[in-house]
Amino acid sequence: MQRLEFILRRLLTSIFVLLGVSVITFFIARVAPNDAAAMYIGPKARQEDIDRVTKQLGLDKPLPVQYVIYMQELSRGDLGTSIATKRPVLQELTGRLPATLELLFFGMFLAAAIGVPLGVLSAQSQGKLPDLAVRSLSIIGVSMPAFFLGLILQIIFFRNLELLPLAGRVDADLRFTDPLTKITDFILLDSFLTSNWVTLKDAFLHLILPAVTLSAYPTGLIARMTRAAMLETLEQDYIRTAKAYGIKQRVIIYLYALKNAISPTLTVLGLTFAFALTGTFFVEIIFNWPGLGLFTVRSLLSLDYPAIMGMTLFGATGYVLINLVVDILQAWVDPRISLK
Amino acid sequence: MKRFTLFLSLLVALSVILSACAPAVEAPPAATDAPATDAPATAAPTEPPAAPLVLKIANSANITTWDPIASFSTEASYLANSYEQLLRINPPGSAETYTPLLAESWEVSADGLAYTFHLRSGVKFHDGEPMNAAAVKASIDAAVERAGASFIWLPLDNVEVVDDSTVKFNLKWAAPVDLIASSLYGAWIVSPKALEAGAADETFWADGKSYGTGPYMVESYTPDAEIVFTQNTEYWGGWEAGQYEKVVVSIVPEATTRQQMLEGGEVELAAGLPADNIAAFDNDPNYTVFREPSFFNYVGFFNTLKAPLDDVKVRQALSYAIPYDDIIAIGANGLGTQSYGPVPAGVFPWDDSVFRYSYDLDKAKALLKEAGHEGGGFSIRLTYASENAVEAAFAPLIKDSFAQIGVDVTVEPLAFGQQWELAKTDPATAQDMFLLLYWPTYSDAGADNMWSMFYAGAEPPYLNATKFNLSYWKNDEYNALMDVAGAITATDYAGSKAKYVEANKLLVEEAPAVFFFDTMAVFVVPKSIEGFKYNLNYPFVHYFFYQLRAAK
Repeated sequence: MQRLEFILRRLLTSIFVLLGVSVITFFIARVAPNDAAAMYIGPKARQEDIDRVTKQLGLDKPLPVQYVIYMQELSRGDLGTSIATKRPVLQELTGRLPATLELLFFGMFLAAAIGVPLGVLSAQSQGKLPDLAVRSLSIIGVSMPAFFLGLILQIIFFRNLELLPLAGRVDADLRFTDPLTKITDFILLDSFLTSNWVTLKDAFLHLILPAVTLSAYPTGLIARMTRAAMLETLEQDYIRTAKAYGIKQRVIIYLYALKNAISPTLTVLGLTFAFALTGTFFVEIIFNWPGLGLFTVRSLLSLDYPAIMGMTLFGATGYVLINLVVDILQAWVDPRISLK
Repeated sequence: MKRFTLFLSLLVALSVILSACAPAVEAPPAATDAPATDAPATAAPTEPPAAPLVLKIANSANITTWDPIASFSTEASYLANSYEQLLRINPPGSAETYTPLLAESWEVSADGLAYTFHLRSGVKFHDGEPMNAAAVKASIDAAVERAGASFIWLPLDNVEVVDDSTVKFNLKWAAPVDLIASSLYGAWIVSPKALEAGAADETFWADGKSYGTGPYMVESYTPDAEIVFTQNTEYWGGWEAGQYEKVVVSIVPEATTRQQMLEGGEVELAAGLPADNIAAFDNDPNYTVFREPSFFNYVGFFNTLKAPLDDVKVRQALSYAIPYDDIIAIGANGLGTQSYGPVPAGVFPWDDSVFRYSYDLDKAKALLKEAGHEGGGFSIRLTYASENAVEAAFAPLIKDSFAQIGVDVTVEPLAFGQQWELAKTDPATAQDMFLLLYWPTYSDAGADNMWSMFYAGAEPPYLNATKFNLSYWKNDEYNALMDVAGAITATDYAGSKAKYVEANKLLVEEAPAVFFFDTMAVFVVPKSIEGFKYNLNYPFVHYFFYQLRAAK
């Protein structure tokens, strides 16, 4: 009951956060000098055409009025039409979301699956060689720019070893030999559901390099976080007690210590996930991954304000929801944290 | 821990159930891996359908709209394979100027005020509608009303349906309609049914479906990712063996990725490779490299309404202080040639008798002295489009060179939209120098450049209809020459060219802008593909798929 109340309260305050975000983004996006109508209709248009589009897009009205109109339409679920692509912004976002989520889930899974054990290993052997190795690795992971790491991986695994595909979500030939029935637009899931094993394998192979590139940063961060939290926890009295009781080292570490040390890791994972929703531009452009990051950057560069608004609101909603989920998860793994 | 185990077992159970429920669609075994055990024992021993002949292309060109009337950007690369004009203009030096597409023949009245086109019969649009005089009229009317490039039809009074297969274009003043009708923008002939549907619903075009008469139809479109084309089996030109049944275009914005895809065999063609890596293909026996002139060129407008750039001597001095060769070498990796005024080399009304400034700092200093600015001593604010890597590469060279004659340059990158907006608002507060990559709208290449960038409107700041004369330069003699040249293009081609050349010479003399260089288009084509032919007049169409054939 307390949990439900907490969730409702958080959602309610989120609405104010999102309202604030919308006001700031709307006005900042429109302060930059740019004639949206001229962009919409293209260069070399006649003045009367530009005037017509200005009217059609409602750009002739004062900014605050435009904002109110935008919010009214937003409340009906209409995010407007992109200036650059002339498709509804909502459709642009939902069309790209599956690609981004597929990459994100896999990348974050890798980050957690590699980062947490590394952090534990590092904490266990504090000051010794494995610790040093993990610490160096995590610094490399955190500081290596994605556009560099991605290219290096491509050169090694595509060019030299010819093991993994270069870019894209799935090989273009497969649409003719093993056509995929679209259900959810998550290629892995769709091919699994329709038993299209050839596509499943191919999509999986395509996913590896971008996901590894994407996970480098959070893996390093998670390893460091886990290490720090574990070191602190291992100093606690109850761990010493457990040791005195003769409980196996492995059980102590993975069951008793890790459970208490995992909360900062969850926070990091959540925040990285939220950021990556719209921020994985480098990975997407290098691996030609048709996700939200590419669209975000394109909209920003062309000052496509309905798309910028849509992306920002979407990203902000993502942050709010993921943070909420992280808080709930933390309360679940660590009952000392109460949801108030 | 227990909860985790429970979760895991649930997940496993769920996946088992899901896979059991999945429709029992058996994928046909791919030709490459066919272990016998894969095929269900009961399967009939039929051959899997032969994989179609597929051409795979990586291209950076993206879609801004699929509406062929509104189109005024990079999507032309694809529209040109699905839609056709009445005529297509051939590359310079061809025996015939035009290739008839939807018009089989045409004639012009003696006064040049009426063009009559006789249409090809029996042609159908992709949606099955017949292509006839009414369809042509509907398409051109739509272009006049709302095309991105609607201004190309300014001379048009009306389109008249004479009979089912004859249309007459009546003009307000004599103009080369054959040339205009071959434009890459604003001249596609589109199914009238689609035009109606598009007028009623803005989002009609969003799914990418094609409604033209061209050889390839769009089968599917994934935004920012992929376009799949399939043969229009009823294409009037017919089909022969070796032509591709499907064309898959991957939209890849990153040039090095395109190159890797080409070299790794993921695609057969890649448009727009990194300029500094082209040389690697020259020595590869598997590829042919085409280096062709293009009609893109780089121009740097001086703000002629602001001192000291209002002084022609100062502008000439600065024109002599541009290191042209270095700019081509560094900005474009040597893939360019210094321009002869705004008209790109090789296209009407280009002429090599037009003067080109050399890189001569002594002359520049002398001219500055004459103008009363000995040793420079003034500063200039230069803007360029931040998304243009070529401009970013060569803008600093201008700064270095101008510094040697005592002129200080502030280089300011801006997003193109902002840069243009700044230039259009108020010349007094605008930039002093504006770098622009320009290309003409239709095949009347050079003349369009001279009109759009230098023909002055009546009122200060003299911006004309296109808003591209960003030097705010007004010269009545130039305007008068242009008026004469434009009026006689359709009736007296040679006379018109002579007037244009005269205007161009005057322009270069007055130096309202720096004319940097004409770019080159580079195509790397594997030996496994035959039939590639570059057409200078359609710079945005990288490949006409219909011309390409798989080598035997």
